[in-house]
Order: sequence, then C-alpha cells, then structure tokens
Amino acid sequence: MLGISVDSAPANKVFAEQNGLKFPLLSDFQRTVSKEYGVLNEEKGFANRATFVIDKNGAIQHIDKDKDALDPTGAQQACSLLEHKKE
Amino acid sequence: MQRRIRRTAMAAGALALALGSAASARAAGLSVGDKAPDFTLPDQNGNRVKLSDFLGKKNVVLAFYVLAFTGG
Repeated sequence: MLGISVDSAPANKVFAEQNGLKFPLLSDFQRTVSKEYGVLNEEKGFANRATFVIDKNGAIQHIDKDKDALDPTGAQQACSLLEHKKE
Repeated sequence: MQRRIRRTAMAAGALALALGSAASARAAGLSVGDKAPDFTLPDQNGNRVKLSDFLGKKNVVLAFYVLAFTGG
C-alpha cells in the first residue's frame, strides 16, 4: 500500500502521524507522477482521487477513479484475486 | 527457418518499442493491463520509494489522494 499526493513530505509526515498511518505516503510535489498516471487535475493543480492495483509484474490490474476510489471494495477484490493467483 | 524466427522476434521487438512510445505519448489514459509507469518519490520519512523495487516481490496498491489536510 502506497499513498501518493502532491503534498510536501513534511505535510505527509504530520498527516501520517495524526492518522496513525503505517504505510509510505509519497510526495509527488512536482506532479510528474500524477500527470503520468492521468490523475492530475490541471485546473486545481492536485491529483484527483484514484486507486491503482499493480501486480508483481508491474501491470495494472485494477483502477478506481474519483468517487469509486472512496470505496476500497474494488481494490480489495483485485488484491485478493492477485493473492490467490500467486503460485 | 531459424532466420524466420529471428525476423519474427525482431518484429515483435519493434512492435514492443512502438507500443512503449505510444503508451508514454498518451500518458493521460492508463488502462487495466498497461504497465504501471515507474517512479521514485520520497515518503514522509525521507526514504526514496521506487515502484520497480516491488517488481517480482509484492503487489502494490497505489492510492492517489487529494490533499492531506482536506479530510480527503
């Protein structure tokens, strides 16, 4: 699990501490990754909400965008499918 | 026969290259089955996290969120 936003690393540190998050929160301050994944809201300058599930081979297996990404069910299902697929 | 195999392999390689550049050209539209673009970004503790470091080891859930202080 990796979180990613356009926040600075120090802002992410406070956010992680306040919310007790144990996974890495990545800072895409330059917006290059958000842009590359097609989730950058050019008008507002931040990344829209989106969840990508990426398998061990680096292939995208599931995408949730905007409101869909609020509900983790789809991503969880994609993950458990991948778990079962392994070996 | 062997020559034909080699030619096929070369064609496949050229196709892969063409697809690769097409993928980076239409950066704004990733779909299921596409290769996830690699990146290296700093986490909240200053560690550099590289997506391709997880290759062959772990599945990754990459969650883009809006802003840390908007309740989002």
